[in-house]
Amino acid sequence: MQSQLSRDAGTSIDIRNVVKRYKGQTAVDDVTLSVEAGEFLTLLGASGSGKSTLLNIVAGFITADAGRIEVGGRDLTTVPPHRRDLGMVFQHYALFPHMTVWQNVAFPLKRRRVAKAQIASRVRQALEVVELGHLAERRPAQLSGGQQQRVALARAIVFEPQALLMDEPLGALDKRLREQLQLEIKRLHHELGTTFVFVTHDQEEALAMSDRIALLRDGRVVQIGSPQDLYDRPASRYAAEFLGESNLFTGRCDGRTFVDERSGAAFTVAAGGNGVELRNGSALVVRPEHVMLAADDAPLPADHNTLDGLIRDVTYLGSGLRVEVALPDGRHLVTRTGTRSGLRPQPGLPVVAHWHAEHAVVVADDTGAAVSATVSETASTVAA
Amino acid sequence: MTAAPAVDLRPAAPRGQHPGNLASQPSRSTRKRWFDGWGLLMLPLALFLLLVFVAPLALVLARSFTDPVTGLDNYRDFVSSSLYVDVLANTFRISGVVTLLTLVLGFPYAYLMTLATPFWRGVMLIVVLVPFWTSLLVRTFAWVLMLGDTGVVNQTLLGLGVVEEPIAMIRNSTGVIIGMVQVMLPYAVLPLFATMRSIDRRLLQAGEGLGARPMTAFWRIYAPLTLPGVAASCLLVFISSIGFYVTPALLGGPKDVMIGELIVQQLSGVLRWGFASALAVALLVVTAALLLLVARIVNVGKFMAGDR
Ligand SMILES: Nc1ncnc2c1ncn2[C@@H]1O[C@H](COP(=O)(O)OP(=O)(O)OP(=O)(O)O)[C@@H](O)[C@H]1O
Ligand SMILES: [Mg+2]
Repeated sequence: MQSQLSRDAGTSIDIRNVVKRYKGQTAVDDVTLSVEAGEFLTLLGASGSGKSTLLNIVAGFITADAGRIEVGGRDLTTVPPHRRDLGMVFQHYALFPHMTVWQNVAFPLKRRRVAKAQIASRVRQALEVVELGHLAERRPAQLSGGQQQRVALARAIVFEPQALLMDEPLGALDKRLREQLQLEIKRLHHELGTTFVFVTHDQEEALAMSDRIALLRDGRVVQIGSPQDLYDRPASRYAAEFLGESNLFTGRCDGRTFVDERSGAAFTVAAGGNGVELRNGSALVVRPEHVMLAADDAPLPADHNTLDGLIRDVTYLGSGLRVEVALPDGRHLVTRTGTRSGLRPQPGLPVVAHWHAEHAVVVADDTGAAVSATVSETASTVAA
Repeated sequence: MTAAPAVDLRPAAPRGQHPGNLASQPSRSTRKRWFDGWGLLMLPLALFLLLVFVAPLALVLARSFTDPVTGLDNYRDFVSSSLYVDVLANTFRISGVVTLLTLVLGFPYAYLMTLATPFWRGVMLIVVLVPFWTSLLVRTFAWVLMLGDTGVVNQTLLGLGVVEEPIAMIRNSTGVIIGMVQVMLPYAVLPLFATMRSIDRRLLQAGEGLGARPMTAFWRIYAPLTLPGVAASCLLVFISSIGFYVTPALLGGPKDVMIGELIVQQLSGVLRWGFASALAVALLVVTAALLLLVARIVNVGKFMAGDR
């Protein structure tokens, strides 16, 4: 709040048809992506999906085989990194070990020949923003991991770059610290108004921090949208499984009816799976928090889909319960309920799992063989 | 080495820690009791050093004050003759030049080694180490054949018409320096390479991302991080150079006598053992004084005890 670093509208970044091939594989496969001015965009993807490669192409550390990078409408494709004016934060911090915290943060200003007096005041401000003013004379080796990463942040924002690029900046920190720094980075984004491009493989982190998420798979963007878009309306089975927990049924979709290939059960679904006509090779996604449990004989709303099962496992989560329901065909279903829902779940209890048709999303089944779907095989004792 | 430095440049002990400050404070109290059970393992080496290093040194020291008569005569002779003082000065001059040249040659070589593929790094390492596999004497004679008036180099230059008459490259300090640089190069390259290999090259990338031109990033980030290696290689080369005997004897002229030659000459030529001892002691004292001076200037301790 006390920051006097100037707040600007940020700068847009346009990535156009960028391709990067390494021997034997394509790390970035024809990616086109626009980051809006002032936006917090997260590149999310599994290890090896090309996130770092793409970010380093934007920063200029890696030269793309094809495509263009524009920042604020200016073509930077052939501009060397030191003239791109982008702030970069690395997972490994990359602090200069022979310089004090102060000298590290002053480094980008000195390279820009900023006047001495101004350097002093801007370094002080940047260190205040990350709450490290009192450690200015320390060397990096004398700081904790979280403090080092904050110095790296201060160093990346002190010269007011056009945009801030961060490659898994919190990857080396423990959970508590990571969550604390997530908040700080969000606050920083809010205060500075600069464009942030953030890389992570942690879906929770992506959901918590981003304005928009670009989901990468094998060097391609498979879905881009707000966290809510990606969570509520996954474009594919891959996206559904990557973000959050989900119950998945594979089968065919016909109009508003989805037929589960395993049990033959028919479920009603909301109109149009993402507007795509999906027949064979589709999957039905139901998020655990949308699955409710009722006693065997309780009356249920007419527009709910139902499945009978036996409670297999109950996990207390603090804020609620995670319940696994074994289905007669050997699979199991995951639900999350509040601790005070009517039913008191106990292993062995016969229940009806049900969900509203609106809460089931039909997506293309784009994963190869049956991988780890949550509605999965279990060595169930409930077999019919 | 007990004198406390006038100005203590080491970082001050951390002042008050802030509450809730998670900084892991690197322990400064790593000075363990030096003699515990494990200390006994040092005993054989300590005895060996006592026998072959400390004892002879004490003998030399004693002899310099007692042979041929008790007193300071040997030292008076040394100081009063400009010839001997010149030899000492010449020794330091040549060693200094050799140190500088090996650094200038060794630094880029070691740097290239860090960039090379494993195969070429191996090749470069072997090339540097070759001198260790041949005798010093043989190599020095080889230089005589190479650099002499009728040597390969001069013959080639004459043949090509580059020069009218042979360039004098031996029997002067040029020859001594060429010969010594070649011998000393591995001692410069190896510590430099060891230091450079441990430097994270991604720091250079980070520097460029922050606005430093590649050259600036190199000098501001990479070069300072090589300083421990530079200091180590310079010390090693300089101290070894001071004691050289064979190379200056074979490649140098009458004006390039180094103190090692003078000592041998006094010992085996004119049998002035007391005077030779005094020369050795003088060399030791002046070298130690020089090193202390250098240590004070570049604060070697800062690197050695370094935070990384
Ligand atoms: N220099 C390189 N040479 C060859 N292949 C490379 C190189 N850099 C990356 N790759 C390959 O390109 C793919 C994408 O790598 P990248 O580092 O961008 O992944 P990532 O999404 O950042 O993964 P992580 O989450 O593990 O950091 C990987 O399969 C990787 O093996
Ligand atoms: Mg990566």
